Amino acid sequence: MNTLELASGLSGRVVVTLGGEAVAQVKDVVFDGPAGRITGFTLSGRGLLAGPMKRSLPFSGVHAIGPSAVMIAGETVFEDRDAVVGRGEAEHGKVLGAPVLTEHGTGIGTVADVVVETGASGRVVGFEILAEDHLDRRHRKVFVPRGEALAVSGEALVVPAHAQHFVADDLPSFAAQAEAFLTHTRRPGGGRPS
Amino acid sequence: MMLFSRTIGLPVITGDDATSLGTVRDLTLDAAGAVVAGVRLSGGPDRTDALPWTAVAAVGPDALIVRSRHAADPEQTPLPAHHSPLGSRVLTDLGTEHGTVQDIAFDAASGRVLTLYTALGDIPGARLLGLGSYALVVRAQP
Repeated sequence: MNTLELASGLSGRVVVTLGGEAVAQVKDVVFDGPAGRITGFTLSGRGLLAGPMKRSLPFSGVHAIGPSAVMIAGETVFEDRDAVVGRGEAEHGKVLGAPVLTEHGTGIGTVADVVVETGASGRVVGFEILAEDHLDRRHRKVFVPRGEALAVSGEALVVPAHAQHFVADDLPSFAAQAEAFLTHTRRPGGGRPS
Repeated sequence: MMLFSRTIGLPVITGDDATSLGTVRDLTLDAAGAVVAGVRLSGGPDRTDALPWTAVAAVGPDALIVRSRHAADPEQTPLPAHHSPLGSRVLTDLGTEHGTVQDIAFDAASGRVLTLYTALGDIPGARLLGLGSYALVVRAQP
């Protein structure tokens, strides 16, 4: 059963082989913004003094993303850093902090984080948006399912004007919404690209 | 059926000449095969610190009997790297923690791992996938 997590929460998670060895920890999550997937992870060594590693982890080498560890078959799945970063970092760097606009051209906030499905899927299911005043006075975090976003690019996220409906205080209540949404889009002939 | 906790500390005696090879310090797992692969010894007279499970003739309540001193020569059968399983963190292959290993039940004759006991419940030995310095990995329940 896959659950939802904020991508920022994956940083620092230990990378463990199925043989039970901890070989690295996640440094950053690299996204392919338009395709809505995790491309892979950059890695750092384990321990206080360990720096970034030259190798990185393509998502194809991930056995599962779990709450306690990212599991891989073995260190052989690591690739050169450029192979993973080259594919997606430009997008990732810009998606976080990118302005969020409604389809009518009103700015409603900025992208604060990316919501991903854990397990073996690596799907980006939504975005956490730091709302501006006129959307939510209490400055709550707003979660927008990815399929609701009309367009995603490195420069901006365009969402339907009714994005306020997705105001959710926390990830669990978003999870319920996203679950309903995904069930809908996964139905054959559901019509919406997922 | 035998338990790791009851085996550790047993005196190790040869069956052919009834001499002591020390005591059981720990058992080495072949996690991929879900079997006990060897015995780590301490306090032996001749620096033998490990012997393959194939050399073990019997595990009783009071001693572990080795067929012969010759059979106990670890040079004959290379053992997998030793990681102490008791107390090890348990992770499923989906990356979820499942407590720590409290004890392991195994079949004394074949060395087959029967059950892993954790604070969060028992895990059949057949679900064992790996054991390293960080964790013991088991297949998640389907």
